Amino acid sequence: MLQTRSSDHAPMIAPGHRVFGIKIGSAAVVVIVLALLPLYASEYAVSVGILIFLYMSLGQMWNLLAGYSGLVSLGQQIFVGIGGYTLAMVTQAYQLSIALSFFIAAGISVVFAFIVSFPIFKMSGVYFTVGTWIVSEAMLVFFRNWEFVKYDAGYNITVAYRISMPALYLGSLAVGVGSVVLVFLILRSKLGLALMAIRDNEGAAETRGVRLYRTKLACFLISSVYTAITGVVLYLNITYVKPGAAFGIDWTVCMVFIAVIGGLGTIEGPIIGAVIYVILRQYLYNFPGISMIILGVVAVAIIMLAPAGIMGVLRNKFGFTFFSVGRQLPAGFGSIRKKAAGRRGRPS
Amino acid sequence: MDAPVLSIEDLASAFGSNRVLTSVGFELRERETLGVIGPNGAGKTVMLNIITGILSPDRGRIVFLGRDISRKSVVDRARMGFGRTFQIPRSFENMTAYENSLVGAVFGAGRTEKSAGTGVCEILDLIGLGGKKLDPAGKLGLLDRKRLEIGVALASNPRVLLLDEVAGGLTESEITEIMGIVRRVKDSGVSVIWIEHVMQTMLHGTDRVMLLNEGRNVICGLPEEVMSSGEVEDAYLGSGIHARTERRG
Repeated sequence: MLQTRSSDHAPMIAPGHRVFGIKIGSAAVVVIVLALLPLYASEYAVSVGILIFLYMSLGQMWNLLAGYSGLVSLGQQIFVGIGGYTLAMVTQAYQLSIALSFFIAAGISVVFAFIVSFPIFKMSGVYFTVGTWIVSEAMLVFFRNWEFVKYDAGYNITVAYRISMPALYLGSLAVGVGSVVLVFLILRSKLGLALMAIRDNEGAAETRGVRLYRTKLACFLISSVYTAITGVVLYLNITYVKPGAAFGIDWTVCMVFIAVIGGLGTIEGPIIGAVIYVILRQYLYNFPGISMIILGVVAVAIIMLAPAGIMGVLRNKFGFTFFSVGRQLPAGFGSIRKKAAGRRGRPS
Repeated sequence: MDAPVLSIEDLASAFGSNRVLTSVGFELRERETLGVIGPNGAGKTVMLNIITGILSPDRGRIVFLGRDISRKSVVDRARMGFGRTFQIPRSFENMTAYENSLVGAVFGAGRTEKSAGTGVCEILDLIGLGGKKLDPAGKLGLLDRKRLEIGVALASNPRVLLLDEVAGGLTESEITEIMGIVRRVKDSGVSVIWIEHVMQTMLHGTDRVMLLNEGRNVICGLPEEVMSSGEVEDAYLGSGIHARTERRG
């Protein structure tokens, strides 16, 4: 791993700080280059960029659930739908600002996620998965029969027409980068230590004193809120919300694709997965009849060749990670780190 | 004699009609290593699972430092001071040895990551994993994994350490090393319950030995006394033969 190398030169300073700085710096450069994309790239490239960042966020949030806390949900479209409908109601029905819809969407989804957690957290494994799906189907039926949201007719989100493509792009970039930063900070925290332990061995984590319910609930709430926020931006791009599409399982299917192809339980995975998914899907518009089949074949092929996903292969075979959430040894033990690193002798 | 750290009263447990524990009761004293032996199926691991709260008993009480903890959850007991190892090591494979122990220190002992770091490193040095702190647990060999099991349990700052066959599958010299670690742990003020099949560890590594057979504790006393009592032979050979002939007849 990269950080271990720097300790050769600065054994007494907390090792890895320099490499950490370099990584932050290069990540900042990448973000700036991406932010300036509308200045030099075609409108088509910008529109693809919007999708990549938003799907990256969706994948990141699904991965936080499935990859870390073992909660395989097929109902995350609930929160995409809440985001979309909140935007529609706030801006169309009440003529209020777009900014306000972010807060209201976050508020509604945290309350909703908390309430549904009582029944669905009583189920585990496959039952949890089916439970989340049923809740989302129920939402779909409910919205179709709810006068307040104009039944199945849906809403045109006209305020979105006034948003320029570069502005929408920057918003999507912020959401995408924000999702990565959020997951990174979570994993570096105490909650993250618990999540990584749960990811590796739930039973052992419990015997070591990790409170499973509380940890998973925290994860579920965070993931749901951020998915709803992403949903708001998604619907600024789509500009038309309807129950069937907003609460459709397609959303979660693509989250699963992105997280599994990229690598479950890694931060880099959903980034790679989102890039592959969005570009592949753009390309597959040329093959309208068989696009889903091709997508399915790609998914099966990657799962068979690399069950741990693309990032899983990079990490296990080559020891590569960019977002290192590994804990560093306290200062006085730095020299041992050097020895250990030498013995491991992994290519960087 | 001080009040016992842990007292187990009349534990019974059955899976359906299969009665695993019929009646187990004993006391664990301050700074004591209690060895537990018994043939396969005697209920040793089940007993450990009940003490740590993974299974709940059909009958009986568990009293820890004067408090009845029979209804406390696994997590609560871990946080109260129960550290255990598993027969088949259950490490967090993608996390380093250091991070594994950090989980014990942060969630078992309730410390912050920052304040726990030095202590965790010292524990890893103590158990002989000092040079492998940053190795992923999944890449460690069997001996190192068993060491790490002890290390993670110790990091949670336990009052009672429960060892489930930590010496199984190890070589003679590795066993001696594990015995040394257990002795140092005990000397630091931890009471230990140690299940093991390796007689050497029970004879030389414990203060008392308890024989468990057919779901009850048959005899408990000084290691040499128990080993030479004839009950052990009966449990491992005799009763087995009886049972077999009974079933045939």
